[in-house]
Parts: sequence; C-alpha cells; structure tokens
Amino acid sequence: MRPIWIAAAAMLALTLPAQAEKTSLSVLKLASSGPVFLAQDLGHFAAEGLEVEFKFFTAAQPVAVAVVSGDAEFGVTGLTAGFYNLAGKGALKIIAGQSREEPGYKLSAYMVSNQAFAAGVTSPADFAGRSFAMTQVGSTFHYMIGLLAEKKGFDIGKMRLLALQSIPNMVSALQGGQADTAILPSTVAVPMLDRGDAKIVGWAGDETPWQLGALFTSPKMIDGKRATVERFVRAYKKGVAAYDLAFQKKGDQAATDKALDILSKYTEQQRGAIAAGLPYIEPEARFSAKDIAKQIAYWQAQGHADKTVDARDIVVTRFVRSLD
Amino acid sequence: MLEPLRFRGGGFVIEPKRHAGWIAGFAVIALWQAVSSAGWVSPVFLPSPAGIARALADLALSGQLWRHLSASLRRILLGFALGASAGLAFGLALGLLSHARAAGLPIVSALFPIPKIALLPLFILWFGIGEPSKVATIGLGVFFPMAIATFSGVDQVPRALIRMAQGFDVPTSAIVAKVILPGALPGILAGVRISASIALILVVAAEMIGAEFGVGAFILTAGNLMRTEDLLAGVCLLSLLGLAVGALVSLAERRFLAWR
Repeated sequence: MRPIWIAAAAMLALTLPAQAEKTSLSVLKLASSGPVFLAQDLGHFAAEGLEVEFKFFTAAQPVAVAVVSGDAEFGVTGLTAGFYNLAGKGALKIIAGQSREEPGYKLSAYMVSNQAFAAGVTSPADFAGRSFAMTQVGSTFHYMIGLLAEKKGFDIGKMRLLALQSIPNMVSALQGGQADTAILPSTVAVPMLDRGDAKIVGWAGDETPWQLGALFTSPKMIDGKRATVERFVRAYKKGVAAYDLAFQKKGDQAATDKALDILSKYTEQQRGAIAAGLPYIEPEARFSAKDIAKQIAYWQAQGHADKTVDARDIVVTRFVRSLD
Repeated sequence: MLEPLRFRGGGFVIEPKRHAGWIAGFAVIALWQAVSSAGWVSPVFLPSPAGIARALADLALSGQLWRHLSASLRRILLGFALGASAGLAFGLALGLLSHARAAGLPIVSALFPIPKIALLPLFILWFGIGEPSKVATIGLGVFFPMAIATFSGVDQVPRALIRMAQGFDVPTSAIVAKVILPGALPGILAGVRISASIALILVVAAEMIGAEFGVGAFILTAGNLMRTEDLLAGVCLLSLLGLAVGALVSLAERRFLAWR
C-alpha cells in the first residue's frame, strides 16, 4: 500500500469518532421547551457529539407516545395521567426536570367567564361546584384543578369537568359562558383578558406550585445507550443553565435578548408573548421525585392511573439529582 | 345411446352455517390471546383479550357501565328517532312529489357528503356544550342516508302495481299506504340498518366535546389516559351495540317483510 493511502486511512479513522451521533427529541413548540432549543442553537448538543432532530407535536400526549413507539429517543413535555400509565407499563423513565409552577411565575391562569364573574366567582376559592373547561381527562389542567380543590378544601366531584379536547374549544366555551371556569396558559389567557372575553382571578404558580414537566426517555435507551443518555443530559443541563442565566438570573441583557430570539425562532411566537409566559425551570434541571409520587397517588385516587404504577420505577436520579 | 345428463345446477347457494361464525371468532381471539400470553407483543401496543375482558368486568362491577351505556343510548335513540323520522318524511316527499324531488335532490346530494364531525364546533356554537349538540350531530348524520334510502325505496316500487291500483280507482292515499309504503319497506329497512350504524359511529364524535358519560366519552378518556385495555373494551361495547342493532333490524325485516 502506498503511504498516501495509509495517511488517508489514518485521517479517516481520526475523523470518524468526531462524526456526530444522530438522536431525536419529541417536543412542543412552547417556551417551556426553551432549554432544548437553547442547547441546540448554542451548540451544546453538538459539543457532546450529538446531532438532535426535533420532532414537533401539538399536545403532551403524542410527545410521550412518540418515545414509546420509538419515533423519538427522548421527549420533553408536561406530565399527564396518560404519561404515568405508559410509564407504569415500563415504557418511559423520567431523567431530568423541565418547567415547574412556582410563585411569581405567570404560567397558568385561573379564568372565569364574564357571566360567572358577575355571579360572584371572583377568586380561585369560588371555583367550588362550578363547571370547569379543560382539554382532556388526565391533563395538566385537570391536575391543577385537583390541586386547587385540595388546597381550598372543596370537592372536585361536585364540579362539572368538561373535557373539550383542545384549547380553542376551551376558549370558546369560556367566551360563550358555557363553562364557568378554566385554567389556561398565559399566552392564551392574557389576550382573552385584554379583549374582555373573560377574567383572570389568579395564577396556579402562586396557589399550587408543582413539577409540571420533565425530560424522559425509554428504558431501552438507559440500558442500551447509557453514554448517549449521559451526553444528552449534560447538553440539556447546559441549555437549562443558559435559560436560567437569560430569564431567571437576568444579569446579562445580551444573553436575555439572544435567548428570546432563539425561543422566538423555534416556537414561532412573538418575543413579547414568550417573555410574558416563561415558566420556572430549576437551574440544574433537577426535579422533585416526591412531587411525582404525589401526582401518581392523586391520579390513582381519582381512578385515572393504574394501581400498579410506582413512582420508584419511573424516576431515574442517576443523571440528575432529585430536589428532595 | 344417450347418457342421462348429469345435474349441473347447485353450488353458489349460500346455506346457513350456524356455527362457523362463532368458531372463526373464537379462533381469532384464541390466537390473539396466545400471542399476548407468549409475550410476543407488548401490552402497551396490543392488550390481550383477557385484559380487555377484565376491563369490561371492572366497568360492569363499578356500576359505571350502565351509566355510560344509558347516556349513549339516550343520545343515539333521540338522535336516531329525530333524524330517521325527518329523513323518512323527506325521502317520501322526494319519492312522491315531482316538485320536492326537483328542488330537494340537489340539496341532499350537496349536503350528504359533508362530514358531520367537521360541523361539530359549529353545532357547539348553535346548540351549546350540552345534550342538544350531541343529539343534533347524530340526527343530522342519520337524516341523509335515511332520506336517500327511502327515496330510492319508493322509486323501486314496481310501476305495474301502482298502475293496477290506479286501474281499480283506489284513492291516492290508499295507494301510498297499501302499495308504495310496503313496496318501499325493504329499501327503508336497509336504510335503517346503515343509518343506525352511522349513529353508533357518530356518538363517539358527538361525545368528544364536554361529555362526562357515554361509551364514546369512555373511549376518548381511555385514549387520553393511554389505557388501551379500556379503549378496546369500549370499542367492544360499540361492536356489541352494533350487533344488537343489526339483530333488531333483522327481526323487523322478518316481521314486516313476511309478505315477500
């Protein structure tokens, strides 16, 4: 063999390990997915040798299903009863935290129709016995009204829970007064208030903080491609740190502006709308395993999660430590 | 020397085979259960028949089964009664009156292919989230196939029978009641069979919006919660309802078409 071929082969061998490993992430086009968009755009995934393909969905459920079916290797979204039922069958593992409802963060609004407001429903405590619009049974909205009922001491069984399948349906039900109350994301709630279509009487973060979202993967990934998971989580944590620096520490205006531009690009929303509805994300991507156990217990008590679902089987604290 | 001609008729006659349907059904379910028990498919993707049966039993024992069934049956019966009677009347008018046919048929043809599910958000604006929008969805879905079945049933009544009755100077109202209606009945009952199945399909769509109880709401909730056993248990309920409706229509056919 000629030396030139040997040299070429050696160069090829050197470049091979540097070639990025392909992986995929199912995700929603929401500000709460900010850390993964930042990690992608700021090159944190690339620095770990990962080439991440985003698979976009419009609801939390398909994001989880995509990871179960193998269409995506990772997923990041809100935690629903459907998620826990899938996870309980050994199909999903939570490996890091995403958004949390926290006091002072205006993420989810308690909303009241104009008619119900005039009839005296003027605070979250007045939701007792009223009709409540939500997307689906087992959704994050459903859990938040459950948390509110628990805190204010009223019986959720005496409310009429209307599963309307989509946020636009919830908006029109609230506008028309066909539903007395609802919980809606600030991106929808604030424009409704501005148009005079409904009233905002409080924020879920102030009343009932909880672990809203998480990063998860399949057990197959953890067992078979542990190194990939470790690299993904490392890059994700850098994305979370960038999010924290830009929106929660707020020391560096240039970083905030740049992060807003990136989020605006990926979510296809206006900068102003994003800035108004940014969720809290724990700066080290940690999550509360205790809170997840509480959520599962709640869904089981309501009969919406299988009795066999066990938080200890779902939560993996090897990559990111738990908050508690 | 002529040989006796061999009998060449026969064959192509569908004879009733009472047990074949049951045996085929059980074979499919047994195979499915075997595949599930052997662990070849994950219960996440395809639950086992035993799991589905357990889900149905849980539903029945908790008392929720009747709550879901009665809510759906009320919607189906009301929607079907309204839609089918309106469709019957409209179909008769199309079949009997020239002006009605000239004016009505293009309208039916234009509106029939509209997916009623696509109109659901509009129905909510018109009728609200409660029962009326659900009944209207089913009623409208039933109306068109019923009108078309009635119209073509009337159209297929042999002209000779009508002419004969006219020859005996039978009054028009009696011709309609004693010749045309019985003659159109096979077509009308075929329409009932189709539109009753459509009502079952539409109850799932109708219960998408704001229904707390109902077989459709149960199926959707099971889907939302990713409980595939419950989902398929609900689908089984719908199938059983479909079988029951089919049996009822067969009964009506035997009862009312005995004259054939």
